[in-house]
Amino acid sequence: MENAWFAVIALMYLKYSVMADAAPICSYGQATCHVPSLADLFDRVIQQSSRMHGISTDLHSEFDHYLPSKNFIGKQRCHTYAILTPDDKEKAQRLGREQLTEVILRLLMAWGDPLSQLHWSMSQDQNQDFNQYRSNKALEISDIVRELKDGVIKVAERMKRLGLNGNFVSYISPENVDPFSAISFYKRGELNSVDHQDLLYCFRRDSHKVKTYLRILKCSTFPTLDC
Amino acid sequence: MTEIVKCALLLALFSVPCTRGTRYSPPDKPKLTSCRSPEKETFTCWWQPGHDGGLPTTYALYYLKDNSDTIYECPDYHTAGENSCFFNKNDTSVWVNYNITVVATNALGSNFSDPEDVDVAYIVQPHTPENVTVNVMEDKGWPFLRVSWESPHKADIRSGWITLIYELRVKLEGEEEWEEHHAGQQKMFNIFSIRSGSTYLVQVRCKPDHGFWSEWSSTTYVKVPEYFFRERSLWILVMIFSSFTLIILLWIVHMNSHSLKHCLLPPVPGPKIKGFDQQIFKNGRSDEILSALMVPNFPPTKSSNYEDLLVEYLEVYVSEEQELILEESKDSCLKSDSSTCDSDSGRGSCDSHTLLTDKCGEAKRERRASGEDSGMTIESQKGWEEEALSYTQEDVATPDVSSRRVKTWPSVFSTVPQYTTSPLDQKTSLELSKQHCLSDTLFPPGSSTKEVLGPNYWEFDLSNKQSHLPQPQTHGSQQLQAHSDVNISYTGNKQVPALLQLPGFKSTEYVEVQKVNQEDMVILQPVESDNCGRDEECPHVLQGEDYSKVKGVGSDNLLLLQSGVKARMGDEMEANGVSESCYTSSSFATTQKHIDSMHSATIPGQEEPIRATTGYVDTTTMFTLPMY
Repeated sequence: MENAWFAVIALMYLKYSVMADAAPICSYGQATCHVPSLADLFDRVIQQSSRMHGISTDLHSEFDHYLPSKNFIGKQRCHTYAILTPDDKEKAQRLGREQLTEVILRLLMAWGDPLSQLHWSMSQDQNQDFNQYRSNKALEISDIVRELKDGVIKVAERMKRLGLNGNFVSYISPENVDPFSAISFYKRGELNSVDHQDLLYCFRRDSHKVKTYLRILKCSTFPTLDC
Repeated sequence: MTEIVKCALLLALFSVPCTRGTRYSPPDKPKLTSCRSPEKETFTCWWQPGHDGGLPTTYALYYLKDNSDTIYECPDYHTAGENSCFFNKNDTSVWVNYNITVVATNALGSNFSDPEDVDVAYIVQPHTPENVTVNVMEDKGWPFLRVSWESPHKADIRSGWITLIYELRVKLEGEEEWEEHHAGQQKMFNIFSIRSGSTYLVQVRCKPDHGFWSEWSSTTYVKVPEYFFRERSLWILVMIFSSFTLIILLWIVHMNSHSLKHCLLPPVPGPKIKGFDQQIFKNGRSDEILSALMVPNFPPTKSSNYEDLLVEYLEVYVSEEQELILEESKDSCLKSDSSTCDSDSGRGSCDSHTLLTDKCGEAKRERRASGEDSGMTIESQKGWEEEALSYTQEDVATPDVSSRRVKTWPSVFSTVPQYTTSPLDQKTSLELSKQHCLSDTLFPPGSSTKEVLGPNYWEFDLSNKQSHLPQPQTHGSQQLQAHSDVNISYTGNKQVPALLQLPGFKSTEYVEVQKVNQEDMVILQPVESDNCGRDEECPHVLQGEDYSKVKGVGSDNLLLLQSGVKARMGDEMEANGVSESCYTSSSFATTQKHIDSMHSATIPGQEEPIRATTGYVDTTTMFTLPMY
């Protein structure tokens, strides 16, 4: 019994240690290991952001289809309104790589928990038949957001190593927003389907921002044929 | 008065429109149709005005930005045309929700359209791609189209602000359906599998990864030139195939050339002796000849199958006029080379009449010159020939004998008639003997032979014969004559050539040499009929129809045949035969036998019972008997 507990603890430790310290396997420069280049990392990250935005668009359009789009302006705003994001091409280009990267990370971090909440909330909703599909999609989105965040961090760190991201600070102090209160922006208490729609609306926009910012970041770093 | 009328009319005129009741009303609600941004930096909104209510109406666009309560009005109503509002860069914010409303106003009032929420990030519709160029390029001889284009100049791809994906479509000139291709983010595309000599139409359009498709670019025409190279390769292929086919056909023809030759040019058959090598005769050596002539199992016994000895069946028809020619041409013509003959086929194609005629022209003349007794010679020849012919005919005296197919012995026995026997003219006979092709080999020209021949030759009285010839049976068979030096006694035969006139001679009956008696007489026997079989009794059951014994040759150049029905009537016949002065020679040397004459007399009474066939004598036997 004690041995079993010990094994479990050991396994848990190993798992979390690996997760916490995402040291690449190839850090020691083994010959058979393929170390992705920064360009590869960027491509990977951009792919993920594009996928994330695609899923969010699908989900949102589903809500729109079944529920009339309400007038959002007068009533609410997204919980990420505090994050200042450039709403212009020139503004984005003026921002610089480090800040742009920071904005991206902030956005991604801000959406991690709300999406989990969304997924949990959707799975709880038994009223609609197609909720299972939405619930799965929400789960997928939350996973992607988490992975994307990690990827962007890796990119930033690589850039920093390469001297491109001088002032970048990998550790971003969390927003002065209680993660659990983020949801309160959409509703206090349990979320319903209407709240889902609002949440998804905000997320769709922010995912588009992330995607665009990442592209700008990549094209400013690697002016290749894709740009 | 008239003025009042005018005024009234004017009033009426003016009042008419009034009475129609034109109503002015506030304008109808306008409708915001669409807002589009070509590069995500500016955007334009269009609206559709409603009925203006009969009054001049103005339109205004107002918008709210993203939760603020500040109302803004459209900065630019003109740039984008009528009933539009253009937002320039300064007024455009992306990821900001615009709440837009259009207001129509006229003198009587105004009307608001329904507000629309617009986010610039989602209404991007770029311009069409620019500089679409199509080039015809070649890949290993096969043409393909390379389409290249540029992004719309306003869309900022380079900074990554917008990402565009492209699509193009192609169609043949004159066709209805387009062929669409997705090109992704690249600005170049190859189209394969195109037809040479045709014109193609190409169009390109683009779309941001989340947005609206642009319009199709203007059509680009491209003409693909004819590619003769490709067609030439087809021709080469065709030629190769046809040449292969030709080679195979030629090979097949070559393989079957022999059979084709036989089919088209069948060889002429000629007489053959089975198992007999004609080359031996050419060599001219008597030893070899005679040894060659020695055939094992010969003479065939009664029980043997006579058919086996026969090599072929020949039905020979020679006209009277040709007899002479035949005779003369026989001389050395039989010696014609047999190289063209097929020794096994039994077809003596080399022994055709014409051949003989041609070849023997000279020889004939020589002989003629040599023998001034030619008359005799010729006569004798002729006579013999006739005899032979008639012999072969076998119609002889018996009228009922029909000329049938004649079974002939091999050509060994041919040209007997040449042995004219003018007892006076030994020379002639000698010559004759020489002339006889076969006999030449048998009796090789030379003094020795001459001497041997001496008194030993056939003596035939052709003159007699001629008178006795029943009918000029024109069928000539050179091979028929029983030619031998053996005394052949003929008994009981009719007049005329014994061979011909033998009573009871049937056309297709044979005489076999049964034995040679002590007197050196060849006893001939007609061939047994089939039903006779191997029965020993057969010979005794002489019906008298098929048998005849050649007793000798009479002075009349007649073969004396003895009736085979010896048992019954032999004596009688013999007696008859003798009584008819048959002369029998008693000499029986190989080459010294001769038949003095043939008895031309017949046994009148014996015809029917006897009915002997024309006596075919196997010369081989006769020669060999005395010799060895």
